[in-house]
Amino acid sequence: MLRVENLTKIYFLSDLSSGGGIRHVDFNVGAGEFYTLLGPSGCGKTTTLRAVAGLEEPASGRVTIAGRAVFDSKTKEFVPANRRNIGMVFQSYAVWPHMTVFENAAFPLRMSRTRRWREVEIGERVARTLDIMGLAAFASRSAAQLSGGQQQRLALARALVAEPRLLLLDEPLSNLDALLREQMRLELRRLQKDVGIAAVYVTHDQSEALALSDRIAVMRDGAIVQIGTPRQIYYQPANEFVATFIGRSNLLRGHFTQGVAPQARAPMQTPLGPLLCECPSGAVAGEPVAALIRPEHVVLTAVGRASDPAAPNRFRGRIAHVAFLGETTECLVQVGDGVEIVVYSAAGEYTLSDRVDVFFPPERTLALASGEKSRVQNSSKGNQS
Amino acid sequence: MAIALDDSQSVGSRRYTPKVTILVVLLCLGIIPPFLFLAYASLHQFDPTGAFGPATLAHFIGIFTSRAFIPTLLATAIYSLGAALVALVIGTVQAWLAERTDAPLRGILYVASAISLGIPYVLYIVSWLLFLGKAGPVNNMLRSLLGSAGPYIDVYSLGGMVFVEGMLWSPFAFLLLSSVFRNADAAYEEAATMCGAGLPATLRHVTFAMARPALLALALLVFIKASESFEVPALVGLPGAARVLTSTIYLRLTLDMPPDIGSASAFGVLLLIIMAILLQAYSRIYAEGHRYRSITGKGYRPRVVRLGRWRYPAGILIGLIPLIVVVIPLATILWAALLPFYQPFSLQAVPRLGFDNFVQVLRSPSFQGAIINSLVLGAATATLVTALSAVAGWCVARRVPGSRLIDNLATLPLVFPAIVLGLAFLEIFVHAGPLLYGSLLSLVLVSTVAYVPYGLRYAQLGVMQIHPELEEAADISGAGHVATFVKVVVPLLVPAIVSCWLFVFLLAVRAMSMVLLLVGPDSQVVAVALFDLWNNGQIGELAALGCVWTAIMTAFSVAFFAVARRYQMPIG
Repeated sequence: MLRVENLTKIYFLSDLSSGGGIRHVDFNVGAGEFYTLLGPSGCGKTTTLRAVAGLEEPASGRVTIAGRAVFDSKTKEFVPANRRNIGMVFQSYAVWPHMTVFENAAFPLRMSRTRRWREVEIGERVARTLDIMGLAAFASRSAAQLSGGQQQRLALARALVAEPRLLLLDEPLSNLDALLREQMRLELRRLQKDVGIAAVYVTHDQSEALALSDRIAVMRDGAIVQIGTPRQIYYQPANEFVATFIGRSNLLRGHFTQGVAPQARAPMQTPLGPLLCECPSGAVAGEPVAALIRPEHVVLTAVGRASDPAAPNRFRGRIAHVAFLGETTECLVQVGDGVEIVVYSAAGEYTLSDRVDVFFPPERTLALASGEKSRVQNSSKGNQS
Repeated sequence: MAIALDDSQSVGSRRYTPKVTILVVLLCLGIIPPFLFLAYASLHQFDPTGAFGPATLAHFIGIFTSRAFIPTLLATAIYSLGAALVALVIGTVQAWLAERTDAPLRGILYVASAISLGIPYVLYIVSWLLFLGKAGPVNNMLRSLLGSAGPYIDVYSLGGMVFVEGMLWSPFAFLLLSSVFRNADAAYEEAATMCGAGLPATLRHVTFAMARPALLALALLVFIKASESFEVPALVGLPGAARVLTSTIYLRLTLDMPPDIGSASAFGVLLLIIMAILLQAYSRIYAEGHRYRSITGKGYRPRVVRLGRWRYPAGILIGLIPLIVVVIPLATILWAALLPFYQPFSLQAVPRLGFDNFVQVLRSPSFQGAIINSLVLGAATATLVTALSAVAGWCVARRVPGSRLIDNLATLPLVFPAIVLGLAFLEIFVHAGPLLYGSLLSLVLVSTVAYVPYGLRYAQLGVMQIHPELEEAADISGAGHVATFVKVVVPLLVPAIVSCWLFVFLLAVRAMSMVLLLVGPDSQVVAVALFDLWNNGQIGELAALGCVWTAIMTAFSVAFFAVARRYQMPIG
């Protein structure tokens, strides 16, 4: 449905140094797919979204929607934002306070260039859309009187009422309080699947991205660092940045004494000693790498109870800190020489200064490059359309 | 032993601190007497010596039964409305182009506004009278095109008044509206774009629809300022027999011998009541108009409309507006200043150009005196107002007990049209302070009273930008009230104080109608000197003095602009 190729837009500061932007951004979104651009502030995700919308004009690249190029730097093609037939939800919702709820939702139909809507048809379509959003009772009220959650739903209704081919969402949940955010997350996902529209979602909240998306593109400093399904991003991060940005992680720095083939397992030299790791993209001898293990994969057992004492990746540790979080217990374990590991332990009660056995399952221990080299994963879904 | 709490700090206490008490007393001293004297004078007869006679309603009855009353009211309304519309249209076009488009040369609009703030009203009006007058270039051109018996523009008419007053207020309208447009959230317009709206639809349904309350508030404000203005009605209207309320007051005082103070005062009271009603309406609409104000999102540049091929027409328009509003008047004045006696523009007059007028003005002790007096008047007024406002503004912004009283007192002078305030103080000085009459000090007093409301606004805004916790931290650390004010508040208030000082300075030196009735031979100021020169037909000197003065004032107004923009203080 959406194809973005080689998009570049650089912002210059007044002293002509680079003030950020995006460089060579490439991705595809399939029909009906929920696609998230995820990254920290300033990574370029919003710039990318606005470039797709037509609110920014990139310096180079191509944007194709439903087979039609809306932007192409080579042919100088640029379809203005108001002719791209895209629905967009803004971070501040941008619900017009001087119009009623009905008028807000009806606006795209009134502005439609492809079809002249009769008043009766507008009434029907808007009523139906507002009903889906649960706003039917507010139709004649001034939009300024709506609460935050209601404004958000109105913004969504307005974006969908003209049945666009693509839906763009710019951090729509960030202005809501935590509880509302969780509720709206579910509703948003359900709605998108029901309507079956392709959606591009921008956020810096990684748990949101994991929960909502079919695929995620992680961005940093104006470039895409990794593309994959939520599981792929979480369990197979391409580099240290992705690993630390998504979910909590333990990173042990070290290097391999010998070259490692891709997908092979090999021992990494770390401050704790040799650590057997999976090496998805292979490694060069001596190259600085980091071993990643997620807190929920570290296995803690009481001293002496370990099933296989001689197995690799087994260390002695001491509990330095315990925090009961409700669904899990977070333990800070001191292992070896000043290395602290974060562990989520659902079972087992530990107290301060307990001595424990720490085990890193090799299949869950990943060796990662530190950052600059990016690896973009191509998944099976979402090819050209 | 119980520790006694300071009463003024306990919540709900009605005791006023010494600071508040002094402030209230000072404000009352300055603001109540004009009301009292004006009301008293309107209700009493005067004997030939000028002392108060018995009570009477004759003045008011005389006004309401006069045949000229309704036409005068009507003329005032038409004049004010027309000026408001002219200023609104010009100001809106400029403001939108400057803030929301990528039209070229936008900076010129700001430069032109800065310059126009420094031009004395009288000078500006005179330049248009020369340019559009019977012997001026416009009429000359029309005559040569249409024949000497053909129609020409009569600037000394209600229409001329509307035009000149509208031109006068358009920079002000531009500045106020540009801040409205600048602060508007671009997301609303982008949302309209994403919904399929083109530029005209977005402008109609979003940009101007949401700006409508602010536009209305501005139109009302200019209406109010026009209806209380004096310079245009006096210079443009009187020669053409167009009468409005303020010029009628002046006539009552100058045409009749002895001056009909009672009738003038009655008109003054009438104007006061009208102003009070209008200002009430304005404050209500102003609150409404700034309801949609929002802060633009994180790190986004406010969206600017790409004009595409309309850039060049827009650029031409931008170039044209300052040309008409600023350059033509200035050029006319310069032409008049360089000629020994005024002649319409023609190539034959060029050899006669010279600097004689400038030499005369700069050498003349009376003009030098006027310039010095004006500078002193401005500086003294600005200093007094700023000092009072800083304290008053703090009290109001921090809502200390008594803040409402201070706020109301300090805003009261706004209901006084300048000429009515001058009249009221004239009565005060004649009856209660004959030594003060005609002195520079008397001018300073009137000015201070008149501009306290403006100073208060700046100070209030400045204090509101200082988080109360900064003062509370000083409090907890052991500082007393005065120490906190001097060491914490004042240093942080410096941008507001400087903006306030410069703004009040600029206002005080421009004031003409306020001081017109009060100047004496020792307290001549530039604004009144220009008025006198025009009435005497001394156009050359007027233009030269005006040029010199404008140059000096432009320096101040540019400084004001720079400070206000740098610290995001409002301009006007």
